[in-house]
Amino acid sequence: MSTPEATVSPLRGQPLLTDEDVARSHDRSRVHHARHHRRRWHLLWLLVGPGILAMLGENDGPSMIAYAADGAQYGLGFFVPLIPILFAMAYVCQEMCMRVGAVTHRGYGELVLQRYGRVWGWFGAGDLTLTNLVTLIAEFVAIRVGLAYFHLGSGVAVALGLALVAFTLSGGRYWRWERIVLGLALFNGLFLVAAVLVKPHVSAVVGSLDFTPFPGGSVNTLLLLLASTIGATVTPWMIFFQQSASADKGMTPRDIEHGRYDTAVGATLAAVFGLGALIAGAALLTHGGSGIQGFAPGAGFPEALRRVAGSAVGTVFALGLIEAGAVAILTISASTAYAAGECVGAAHSFNRSPRNAAVFYAANIGVALLAAVVILIPGAPLLSIALNANVLATVLLPVSLVLLVMLANDKGLMGAWANRRSTNAIGIAVIAFVGICGAAYGIDSFLLATHLIGA
Amino acid sequence: MSGGGPVIEERHREGAIEETDLQPQERFEDELIMHLERDQFVAETSRPVPRAVLSARATAGLWALRVFVVLVGLMVIYTFVDQLN
Repeated sequence: MSTPEATVSPLRGQPLLTDEDVARSHDRSRVHHARHHRRRWHLLWLLVGPGILAMLGENDGPSMIAYAADGAQYGLGFFVPLIPILFAMAYVCQEMCMRVGAVTHRGYGELVLQRYGRVWGWFGAGDLTLTNLVTLIAEFVAIRVGLAYFHLGSGVAVALGLALVAFTLSGGRYWRWERIVLGLALFNGLFLVAAVLVKPHVSAVVGSLDFTPFPGGSVNTLLLLLASTIGATVTPWMIFFQQSASADKGMTPRDIEHGRYDTAVGATLAAVFGLGALIAGAALLTHGGSGIQGFAPGAGFPEALRRVAGSAVGTVFALGLIEAGAVAILTISASTAYAAGECVGAAHSFNRSPRNAAVFYAANIGVALLAAVVILIPGAPLLSIALNANVLATVLLPVSLVLLVMLANDKGLMGAWANRRSTNAIGIAVIAFVGICGAAYGIDSFLLATHLIGA
Repeated sequence: MSGGGPVIEERHREGAIEETDLQPQERFEDELIMHLERDQFVAETSRPVPRAVLSARATAGLWALRVFVVLVGLMVIYTFVDQLN
């Protein structure tokens, strides 16, 4: 891979400094300063980012709707303990991404492509592009549902999403992009506010920690719930995003401990806010919850919550959906841009100017624009696309996870930072669980659709 | 600083040039460069890592998983299209 700027000095054989290097050096100088002066909280503040963004970015529109739909249809039982377990699984995967990014200073896409060959690199990029496009459509739908509560239409949703992408890209600095998106992501806490406003019984929440009552319904429904809930916590874009963002941020092996804090805080916040959506949705359980379609035309969940729990809950939930969709559009577009730059061998950093990283910026805006166009098509099956986004991500995830575990075990790349046996054992268990759940739903649904088995 | 940006040499490692000889801009960039690890420079990360040699079993396992995932993915897409109808 070569870039116009990254060449070698003819005089001393030393590399030229690019604008990307200069920007990253500025960020790293502040990290060194904070570490040198033992300013622990300042150091933590400087090093958090990719982990929280990956986790809260995955608390996106379809995910929050899925959690709320789980609560509305089945109540709290089973899901209250399941959601934290799934985010613990996500932590294991994302910690590996952060560690590989910090040690190798390279993104997931380029490492797979260079280390295991172009076939595997392009397969991964293909999976990512497909799932990202479908998910981005669902994000715009989520924003549209939130805005519909305020009597605003699809055009406003598209304009808002695209304006945010353009605004965050305008600075030419990773740090600026990260802090803006972090600021937006904290509003994911609106789902917790919604949960408090519905005044849940604490005893009911605590009592559901034993996985009961188990959701009723058909096996296929249960598999769909599992697959979509897994897809709401771990997805291919998170793997691409956190590894590339960790490298772009300039993290090094010395920062891995803080990277773990970052990822753990992100997982904890995401689990708590996800539970907030579940609890808020559960307020609809005794009010015809099974008939509520989160993405139905109109304001869907927010409107249903307004009728049952009051306008404050409806408003907060609608704002939460807008936030969840907006942040996910930014992070998912970024993951697509990183993958595009890495796979075609072009510059891929927020620290580059658009002129020096045309592929990166074009992919970032292009994929968001493509998804936006789809939701403006009259009669497009947006509801079905949105509901299947998480499932598709779950089905395609195992290959990405296997290659991630291979990278994290590669002693040639990772040296002393390679996976321990315990991490491998947990990682393999996660892959097996995700693979079995996704495959079981896919095969069962196919057999039902082709009438090879009865419902 | 793109394109014709100044050459940054790692003088701080060599110690061959007195600091007083440096122009303010060079000194500033030398201080900056100290905060990056050598393998973090774009020029370094632009060099591809060597290709790993996968065993036949690992390659076969990866292909089996890939084929399986594609088949299940197609099933999900078929179900999705079927539901639309």
